[in-house]
Amino acid sequence: MSGDQPQPDAPDQTGTAALKTLSLEELSQIEVTTPSKEPVKAFRTPAAIYVITGEDIRRSGATCIPEALRLAPGVEVARIDSSTWSIGIRGFGTNLTRSVLVLIDGRTVYTPLFDGTYWDVQDTMMEDIDRIEVIRGPGGTIWGPNAVNGVINVITKSAKETKGALVSAGGGNFEQGFLNARYGGGNGDGFNYRIYGKGFDRGPEYHQDGQNYDDSWRAAQGGFRIDWQRDNQDTFTLQGDLYDEEAGESVAATSYTPPYSQTINGNASLSGENLMARWERIVNDGNEIHLQAYWDRTDREEANFAEVRNTFDLDFLQRVRLPFRQQLSWGLGARVDPVDDTEVVSGLQFLPLKRTDYLFTAFVQDEIGLVDGRLSLIVGTKLLRTNFTGIAPEPSVRLLWTPSEKQTIWAAFTHALRTPSDSEQDFYLLGYSQTLPNGMPYFARFNPNPHFAPEQLNGSELGYRRLFGQKLYVDFAGYYNHYHDLFSEDITGPPSVQDNPPPPYLLLPAQFQNGLDGYTKGVEIAPEWRPAGFCRLRGSYSYLHMDVYAQPNPTVYFPLPTGPTITGSSPQHQVSVQSAFDLSKKLQLDLTYRYVSALPALAVPAYSTGDARVGWRFSRQFELSLVGQNLFQPWHLEYGPPPAVGIVRNVYARLTWSR
Amino acid sequence: MEQVTRSAFRRWACLMMGFGLGLPWSCKAADEATEYQVKAAFLLNFTKFIEWPAAAFAAPDSPIAICILGDDPFGGALDQMVAGEVVNRRKVAAQRIKRAPPPKSCQVLFAGGSEKDLSKILPGLGPGVLSVGEGETFLRDGGMIAFVVENRRVRFEINRTAADNAGIKLSSRLLSVAKSVE
Repeated sequence: MSGDQPQPDAPDQTGTAALKTLSLEELSQIEVTTPSKEPVKAFRTPAAIYVITGEDIRRSGATCIPEALRLAPGVEVARIDSSTWSIGIRGFGTNLTRSVLVLIDGRTVYTPLFDGTYWDVQDTMMEDIDRIEVIRGPGGTIWGPNAVNGVINVITKSAKETKGALVSAGGGNFEQGFLNARYGGGNGDGFNYRIYGKGFDRGPEYHQDGQNYDDSWRAAQGGFRIDWQRDNQDTFTLQGDLYDEEAGESVAATSYTPPYSQTINGNASLSGENLMARWERIVNDGNEIHLQAYWDRTDREEANFAEVRNTFDLDFLQRVRLPFRQQLSWGLGARVDPVDDTEVVSGLQFLPLKRTDYLFTAFVQDEIGLVDGRLSLIVGTKLLRTNFTGIAPEPSVRLLWTPSEKQTIWAAFTHALRTPSDSEQDFYLLGYSQTLPNGMPYFARFNPNPHFAPEQLNGSELGYRRLFGQKLYVDFAGYYNHYHDLFSEDITGPPSVQDNPPPPYLLLPAQFQNGLDGYTKGVEIAPEWRPAGFCRLRGSYSYLHMDVYAQPNPTVYFPLPTGPTITGSSPQHQVSVQSAFDLSKKLQLDLTYRYVSALPALAVPAYSTGDARVGWRFSRQFELSLVGQNLFQPWHLEYGPPPAVGIVRNVYARLTWSR
Repeated sequence: MEQVTRSAFRRWACLMMGFGLGLPWSCKAADEATEYQVKAAFLLNFTKFIEWPAAAFAAPDSPIAICILGDDPFGGALDQMVAGEVVNRRKVAAQRIKRAPPPKSCQVLFAGGSEKDLSKILPGLGPGVLSVGEGETFLRDGGMIAFVVENRRVRFEINRTAADNAGIKLSSRLLSVAKSVE
């Protein structure tokens, strides 16, 4: 046997010996685990990537994408209430998180309204998710603007992989009822399709102040995907989704007229649809063309503002192999968002109400094999232009060294940008302070800042992955990120009496500016151990240190000290241990423990909690599972500010039928 | 019975480790199957339901060679599967090849889903080679048996014309288990 031929694994006769004795008919009925090919690719990626597979999601019991993200190391998932989350990577998590770019099947769901992701409307059939790739660290060169601290890439299965019927239904104390159904088919000649529909009703979380605003959440969603593979090279995909939901919320509303400030408890009415067409030509490994176009409409009607946004996007990407072991990638992108806002309360205004946001990008990246395919240098840059900024680059340099099949060492130096948004450049936000003795109201107002510049990051990263034997795998990543021109809240002048709009009021003027600098440093360690085919243990530890401070700037009248609020809103330590056991062919047990350290700025104490799932496949077509989440306490806090909503213990049962 | 008890105990030991209890037992009793273990079992099974023309073999005692073209997705499962197996008085052997095989060297050719240019390779295989591949396009490229994974189960489709043309007889049992026969 020559050296380059793969050696058989250590003998594992039990599994194969059992299969040998089975008949053709019996073999056709065996359920198989299909390991995703992606982890192999991920092993050789010069970035801190973690792949959550569809099977991981199924076994975690997660019922929505944000909850599934708890499986990835280094991701800070904090549930705020029933329908909102703060999801940050390496710090800076907020209810929208400006620094993490989120895509679903290549469709950017990050909105330039407030810059960030509305997690309440990012959903799909969980059973149809092939994988979620989580990239910690800047990814601007490939993924584009706002991939500053990380990228979350949700990828659904191709229609070929979802043939047949599947229905799952269930409910519990918090997941009050859900129904998911999908049917997929094809003509056996490269044409495949699926359609799905789902709905859920989630209850309110625990409100410790007793002011039970009803944050329950109801949604219905449907969609389809068609894949048509012509010859071996070309694949055409058409897919779309349609949703309509209602999410209870409690929002502040300020107005220039009495009562000046009030809290409105009501329902956000959220709907939208999207349609995407994609053509992929894969000539061979390394020679590919991708072209995609999509339209995405979102309609948010909240108790204090409303927006309808239509996004039209076109993206082209080509990868070519060049001589001297070079792999060249280049691409172009264009996105145009016509926006139509409605003023609901006078203290929250986007002006003009009708605007058009746009983004144009171009990128080129070259991967150069240096030493015998063991060392690669990857250099590239993105150039981007938005309606808010001039042309700006996002360059990166990465080094990948694979000293053996079982080890990867990588380093990266990256520059990434968070582009300005409507909320910095077109936004008036009024806050009520008090009514003066003469009866005049006193407000502070953030006025638009047409000079708001991109937030900038210079990131340095180092990573190491190692496979010890066949069973133990360890992924280690460390980083030092230096930020400048971060978002700040600054008072721009002394209070003065204004009379537009009437009646007269005292106004303290403020603006969102680029007044903060800072750095983060940290490490993430994620071991995985598979002592046997039926037993898998995974763990992760993430350490984060943040420091954010005001730039010395004499022109600012008075900077609000927001630095400590930012640094105190991300956990310094996170620990997670997940275990997956197959107790028998029919019975599965999954246990998760997680610890998140305190968020001092939000008065959220450290917490430990655990999840458990028991899955029982009692017949070939049916599986019954029982899931408990946040089991250690009746409720706990994950995010603030006070009075924060308590995240409740959630127990539900699910019956899945597939054929 | 003792086998069953021991297996259950190992499971339990393994479970306790999840809570930091118990010692690192060697818990090794995998009875769950991966996709490629099942595909390897099918490949071995196919040889029992197929009649090759005598001219397919170099000699009367030549083994039935199952050749993996290009990338090997089995990770050793096929080697374990065929080890010590004898079918119709012939040994079964697994081999790895980089390009189209010379005549009489391979009786089963397996081409993984990542192989390209199969529409050029498959018609040139000559008689007496059973071609097995993955995905629906494999049959259109001239292959004989294609594995498809459906609802987490491995099934296969058959192109009977291609097999007939190569002088390979497929048993009725094989045809009846197939998901579809063209």
